[in-house]
Amino acid sequence: MLSWAALLVCALAVAGFFVAKGRAVALGGDTPAILHSRPVYHGGFVAIRTALAGLCVLIFGLILSNIAIRWALYSGLPAGLSGIERDLIVSDGVALAGGNLASRSGEARDVVAALYARLSMIQGWGLALASVGVAGFALMRGLRQVSIPFRARSRFERIVQIVLAISAGIAVLTTIGIVASLLGQTLVFFSEIPVWNFLFGTLWSPLSGVHDGAMDPGKVGAVPLFAGTLLITVIAMLVAVPVGLFSAIYLSDFASARARSIIKPMLEILAGIPTVVYGFFAAITVAPFLRDTGAAMGLSVSSESALAAGVVMGIMIIPFISSLSDDVINAVPQSLRDGSYGLGATKAETIRNVILPAALPGIMSAVLLGVSRAIGETMIVVMAAGQGANLTANPLEAVTTVTVQIVALITGDTEASTAAGPAFALGFTLFCITLIFNIWALRLVRKYREVYD
Amino acid sequence: MTETDPIKFRCQGVNVWYGQTHAIKDNDIDIHDKAVTAFIGPSGCGKSTFLRCLNRMNDTIDICRVSGSLLLDGEDIYSREIDPVQLRARVGMVFQKPNPFPKSIYDNVAYGPRIHGLARNKADLDVIVGESLGAAGLWDEVKDRLAAPGTGLSGGQQQRLCIARAIATKPEVLLMDEPCSALDPIATETVEELISGLGERYCVVIVTHSMQQANRISRRTAFFHLGNLVEYDTTDAIFSTPQDERTIGYVSGRFG
Amino acid sequence: MTEAATPPPDASFHSSEEAVARLKKRRSAETRLKLYGMIAIGLAALALVALLWNIVARTMNAATEHYIAIEAQIEPDEDDFLKVVKKSARASFPYVSGRTGKRELYGLFSDGAADDMRRAQEAGTLETGEAVPMRFLVSDTADLYMRGEFGALESQESAGGLTITEDGKKFVLRAQDKAFIDAVGRAKAGLAREADSLRQQAARQIAGITVQQARLDSVTGLEREDMLAQIDGFRKTRDRLEGQASALDALITGSGDTRLELTDRMASFFVMVNGGILKLTEVSADTALAVPLVPLDSADPVAGGAWTLRILDRPEVGRPVKDQQVAILETLQREGRIEEVANWKFFSLSDSTQPEIAGIKGALIGSLWTMLVTFSLAFPIGVMAAIYLEEFAPKNRFTDFIEVNINNLAAVPSIVFGLLGLAVFLNFFGVPRSSPLAGGLVLALMTLPTVIIAARAAIRAVPPSIRWAAMGIGASKTQTVFHHVLPLAMPGILTGTIIGMAQALGETAPLLMIGMVAFITAVPEGITDSATVLPVQVFNWANASERAFDMRTAAAIAVLLAFLVVMNAIAIILRKRFERRW
Repeated sequence: MLSWAALLVCALAVAGFFVAKGRAVALGGDTPAILHSRPVYHGGFVAIRTALAGLCVLIFGLILSNIAIRWALYSGLPAGLSGIERDLIVSDGVALAGGNLASRSGEARDVVAALYARLSMIQGWGLALASVGVAGFALMRGLRQVSIPFRARSRFERIVQIVLAISAGIAVLTTIGIVASLLGQTLVFFSEIPVWNFLFGTLWSPLSGVHDGAMDPGKVGAVPLFAGTLLITVIAMLVAVPVGLFSAIYLSDFASARARSIIKPMLEILAGIPTVVYGFFAAITVAPFLRDTGAAMGLSVSSESALAAGVVMGIMIIPFISSLSDDVINAVPQSLRDGSYGLGATKAETIRNVILPAALPGIMSAVLLGVSRAIGETMIVVMAAGQGANLTANPLEAVTTVTVQIVALITGDTEASTAAGPAFALGFTLFCITLIFNIWALRLVRKYREVYD
Repeated sequence: MTETDPIKFRCQGVNVWYGQTHAIKDNDIDIHDKAVTAFIGPSGCGKSTFLRCLNRMNDTIDICRVSGSLLLDGEDIYSREIDPVQLRARVGMVFQKPNPFPKSIYDNVAYGPRIHGLARNKADLDVIVGESLGAAGLWDEVKDRLAAPGTGLSGGQQQRLCIARAIATKPEVLLMDEPCSALDPIATETVEELISGLGERYCVVIVTHSMQQANRISRRTAFFHLGNLVEYDTTDAIFSTPQDERTIGYVSGRFG
Repeated sequence: MTEAATPPPDASFHSSEEAVARLKKRRSAETRLKLYGMIAIGLAALALVALLWNIVARTMNAATEHYIAIEAQIEPDEDDFLKVVKKSARASFPYVSGRTGKRELYGLFSDGAADDMRRAQEAGTLETGEAVPMRFLVSDTADLYMRGEFGALESQESAGGLTITEDGKKFVLRAQDKAFIDAVGRAKAGLAREADSLRQQAARQIAGITVQQARLDSVTGLEREDMLAQIDGFRKTRDRLEGQASALDALITGSGDTRLELTDRMASFFVMVNGGILKLTEVSADTALAVPLVPLDSADPVAGGAWTLRILDRPEVGRPVKDQQVAILETLQREGRIEEVANWKFFSLSDSTQPEIAGIKGALIGSLWTMLVTFSLAFPIGVMAAIYLEEFAPKNRFTDFIEVNINNLAAVPSIVFGLLGLAVFLNFFGVPRSSPLAGGLVLALMTLPTVIIAARAAIRAVPPSIRWAAMGIGASKTQTVFHHVLPLAMPGILTGTIIGMAQALGETAPLLMIGMVAFITAVPEGITDSATVLPVQVFNWANASERAFDMRTAAAIAVLLAFLVVMNAIAIILRKRFERRW
């Protein structure tokens, strides 16, 4: 219904373009120069206004009516239910209305389903009619405005600029969307579970003590996840930082042009490989290899060891560190190198005493961005790290991470409204931590640029 | 009087190529010790390139090739036995744009002595830093803020810091590549005085685009044009009685 | 401090012996640093090679599939092709009897064999009749055996002759020159392994005893009695295990003349003789008892060289392919009735629970739809945003904020975008779960920062002189941008967009959040159908328990990487072709 309405609006806009352009051409007659704006701008103005009017009604109408429908569904529920029960009934009702399976059936759910079906039909028709109607109105008004002195071009350009600005605003909207969607669910979660238990509890098994959708506050301690994430991140950085940094040093100050032309693409290939491929590599090759090597040395290495996931994640981050470090090392002005060589310093001395100190902020920011990536990386750990929340510092054992648990909760077969709470709380924590690292890194880079640009 | 100065550098048949470009064409020149020698010439004439041959700074450029014989105290500096690192410690260099390291003033000057092991202890190092800053005429200006970053000094001070840094390494020769071109006139004057003084004790080679500067501070002047050493004589002779048409044209300001 | 205080330069210092020695050290420090760099790059290269080699080697295995050529009996209006496969199998291997034997026989064939016939029937190309020569797709187990995944069948030629005596259902084999001595050795090695594992189990019982005894003091009454009973149980089990191990030891140390009973925990021994295959059940150095897996033409004695002993080292209990299946496959192989052909079906089939008939068409089309949505959102919005920020935006705090935002979004973990998609697109806007539309929307938001950053760089690279020229002849700012700046910046913008799309194509985590991980066998026909995409297919297959999925996972990765290579190559060509130096 709504997509047809959108198509119809677009069709109206296209029609408006040709009609308005035709009118303008007719007005101009043999002397088109008497028109203030060329016919194509008259057409463009009418078309863009028609399309925007219709689509805006559609989009904002959709948002507002969705809010209204939610509100209507919840207010129709019987009194005396807990928050999670209400969520469950509504989501089941919506599922039933769509012909899908619900977790349970019951009268309250059927009522919700019927109400939802009725409301969404009204919503569909209402929005379709409203959007097409508004678009038609805008079209008519626009066509009436076509005249010789009408400043169609300035008006058109004004609208174009507004559209451009809105596009730029989408980045901000995305951030707002992320924060709002994560925060909303997180706050609901923390209204039932104390933040303290989540941040400092050491037992993580959120779905094992669920009664009527309410979790056991003693089993949502995320410390084992933070510790596991930290452990794997540390291993990854222990691999990525030395290898990446030494590669960058070699590339920028030792390698011949020929060697560079081979090594740089190689690192770029490493950077372009999707993380799911690294995950496969970790699970199918590196983990068994480490397990067998460990067994040969008399160590018991878990087949989902933190070491395997960490090492492969480190490999993934190598090109990240090396290319960013290479950039900042190259950005150290040649004059500083010359100054050092001119005093009879060797390359190694120049690098250690002049280049690295000068490039340090940039390298630090590369490392911070690498850490942020390692913390947020999902596929490698999902495929190669464990599921069990195991609080240990031994890299040979299986640990789990924040991202693994988010995936497990969301893709698991638990009722979505139950699993969403801890998952979004973890997501929000993840977002905040990586945000701190990113901003820290961006500030360092900015400072670095100020010095050398 | 001038010919009594001992010869520090004896260069014969020097050629330099940048890739396909023949930058220095078969030049011979003797550079004397304890005197200032100036290289002048229009932009792109090869004077800086030639200067950078004298301490093998050109080695850091991949596409650059040097041939011919360059003898420092009778020793071929391009021979296999010579380590360019060692050579550059003996032949110090000051660059066109002041390039202090992003470190403290003290650490800038101490850098050379540290890497070359000139000081046995902190006290030694303090002495070397003090003497070098003094020799560069900077001591009185910075003695109270040795820990301040070298990049915080004014342009002229930065350049003198770079000179102090070069002296601290205890070189035999000082190469200066247009050391005043990035400085204002007052700073230039200070640095010029300093260079004149240094000429008493070191073999100083300076590249300059300013004929007046060459005239003021150097004992001998070499005029380069299109990669050729056109004329080389005492500064007085070059500016008062130039022999070559091109030198006459250049010193009289007809081109350049 | 005066100039006079400066000592004259010490000309000899830098040439002194001390300095030279020091220089040597400094030079070796330099060499060390260079070496570290080379080692680092070597490690990175090693990782890349190991990764790619892993993928390529496995992909090679997935590039072909095996068929068994036998005759089938097909009615003109046949509708149960699974039955046809079974019937044909029974008819071709009449000697396989018993429920286990038949199950193993059917286990050689894939359900895909029936699918092939159904497709042929639908296309009207299916031959019918009593004995139609037909190629049947083999099952994943049989395929893995053909590729030697369960170990190779070792062959021992024997110089001495062999006599065969029928003894009821079994055969007694007598070989000259103690031809079975090696088999006895291997069987004993198997026994030794078993004894080892029994002893390990016994050791675990002992550990249990120690633990319980330590706790014994702290408990009283009934609990204590329970515990004592447990300890007693542990002891008994331990004694039994150790007794079994000792019995095995006695067998191992026995002479070669006693006959050793062979179990499915030891290697399997086959004797190929007179056109049939026998499996040894008991063996001593020169005699053996055997059962037929493939019947013999005759029981005549044979001379040396006319029979072979073949050994499959991995015990039957530890491998999915059973001895009966091995015997049939070996016979078929010898008769040249196993064909290995290129596996084009991989591209025309969609996901399946059976690895041998799982393909990537569904995922490929799903990726295509998803990328279509991503591109048609991320490209225009990204370019418009970049134009605004570079050409129109006033320099104020709000645009600064937008800029920080974009840079930050580029580094937000992808899974967070998945949660955003789940909360906003799925739950709020009601976009269908696991649809390319939902996936495309999420990936578009993820790709947007990349496109904006690349587009801004490209627009910035257009020199201002172009803008001045256009403005100078009376073009408006908008006209200047759209007529002059944008076309010149387009190659750069496209390059950046393609790189962003390549990232999006390989992205998995956010798609898991919006349900694209579901098992979907249908090819999506639009952006609102349920679908999966290439990287998620890789993830699903990598998680599957069947071993044959490993090579298909690798093959799917190879396809994914091929697409990425093509996209990046286009980006590079675009950059090279239209690169302009102003």
